[in-house]
Amino acid sequence: MNNPIIRFSHATFGFSGVVALEDITLDIAEGEFVGVIGPNGSGKTTLCRAILGLMPPFSGSLKIFDCSCEELHCHHRARIGYLPQKDSLDRNFPITVLETVMMGRYGVLGLFKRPSKQDRDIAMHALESVTMHDHWKTALGYLSGGQQQRVFIARALAQQPKVLLLDEPTTGIDITTQHSVLDLVQRLHRDMGLTVLLVTHDINMIRERVNRLVLLKTRLYAAGPPEEVLRPDILREVYGKDLVITEKDLIIVEDYHHHHH
Amino acid sequence: MIELLSYDFMQRSLAAAMLVGAVCSAIGVFVVLRGLAFVGAGTAHAAFAGVALAYLMGWPPLAVAIVFGLATVWVTGLMEEQGRMKLDVSTGILYTATMALAILFIGMMKSYNAEVYGYLFGSVLSVSAEELQIILGLGLSVIALLLLFSKELYFIAFDQEMAEASGVPARRIFYLLLTLVAVTVVVSLKTVGAILVFAMVLIPASTAYQLTHSLAQMTTLSVIIGTSCAAGGVLISSAWDLPSGPAIVLLATAVFFLSVLFSPKRLRRSPA
Repeated sequence: MNNPIIRFSHATFGFSGVVALEDITLDIAEGEFVGVIGPNGSGKTTLCRAILGLMPPFSGSLKIFDCSCEELHCHHRARIGYLPQKDSLDRNFPITVLETVMMGRYGVLGLFKRPSKQDRDIAMHALESVTMHDHWKTALGYLSGGQQQRVFIARALAQQPKVLLLDEPTTGIDITTQHSVLDLVQRLHRDMGLTVLLVTHDINMIRERVNRLVLLKTRLYAAGPPEEVLRPDILREVYGKDLVITEKDLIIVEDYHHHHH
Repeated sequence: MIELLSYDFMQRSLAAAMLVGAVCSAIGVFVVLRGLAFVGAGTAHAAFAGVALAYLMGWPPLAVAIVFGLATVWVTGLMEEQGRMKLDVSTGILYTATMALAILFIGMMKSYNAEVYGYLFGSVLSVSAEELQIILGLGLSVIALLLLFSKELYFIAFDQEMAEASGVPARRIFYLLLTLVAVTVVVSLKTVGAILVFAMVLIPASTAYQLTHSLAQMTTLSVIIGTSCAAGGVLISSAWDLPSGPAIVLLATAVFFLSVLFSPKRLRRSPA
């Protein structure tokens, strides 16, 4: 295994007294592509917030880049590119594509510094790598769901991150676009050597693409190569009767009716 | 109208109104985008309670107004942060409580005080040279701070958690914004008054919102609209001898409805 870049050690997280993730011990190595799966309310988004340094552990520890997460400096945070869940964004916000991607530079720049031509070049380059550079002047609200996801991935890339953290990047977009967004993520992982953590409820969509799967339901149930994690006995323990296994060995987890729009 | 401009008081009131128009419409962009409209309206009433207390006790009105305004925004900010209460609920409570305080203070005064009511409705034509200096000092500081922290302010308006996650000190920037809202309200009390100040914050920014899809353009447009409506309103009010606050606000409202009619976004309002 390469250098661990993220290390959870018996870490417990929560908010206002409620435990969302309990006793997590997990190493993520540099350059890995990890899929994080689990039912609704299993603590997947909490895992993202913890890695972003927005939530220190109640107990145990979390180290990112060898830096304890409660003392994560702004400088370090900028090295984690983050794509938040889509419904947390206002579609009518008056902002152009380039203005959106430039925001990826703001944390890196720090207070008082104006973005320079170089920052603009970095932003345009990030747009090129998601093939959205022709749309740099377009209003964000005019783009399709898949195009918006590409722009937000470009914003994360503009931070020139080491880690890319994606929270449900395929929710709410059509199936063809879902595949093209995941193809893009896979390409970025390969070409840029990024460490990728992708949170999703759609196991079938990512099982062929990731190095490792992490299965959460408040606790860490399994972590390993997809074929080791996607075993009926393990999945049944987490998903219960929401799990259906068809004869083609496809796994369909049916507790997301209210999640699809 | 040209002769009017040669009077000292007229030049002063035009300068005061345009400055207030610029400050309000600049901060308005962030207030509208971050969803702080009601917080601002509540702050204006709290500041008025401060003015009433100042007159009751013989203290300097603007100073007490600033203290009341800041206390209100910080308390609302804290409440939201701790997730105890939604912003509109805590603001609603503070809004009415401070208005009750204002009425209480006015009731405790021995005699009717017309000057206090001046702060409620504003009267730009009676701005003194001293007051203009205070407005100028505070107003320019607000604009300077907005410029200095513009990229962080845009970021938290778009997505505060995202800003925090990418290394921007989002919490502190949010409190800076709340603080600037309170100062802006106090700067505008004398010219447009506590009841109308929030129109000056909301209308130019919302008008600009109708017309553009770029943050930079929205800000520029908002300031142009705010400043020219303020100037236009003062000229109208002196030409026809109308109260200045309502003249400014109604002119801006008219421009807003025109922008809604001609908004390029209107055709694209289909749900996503």
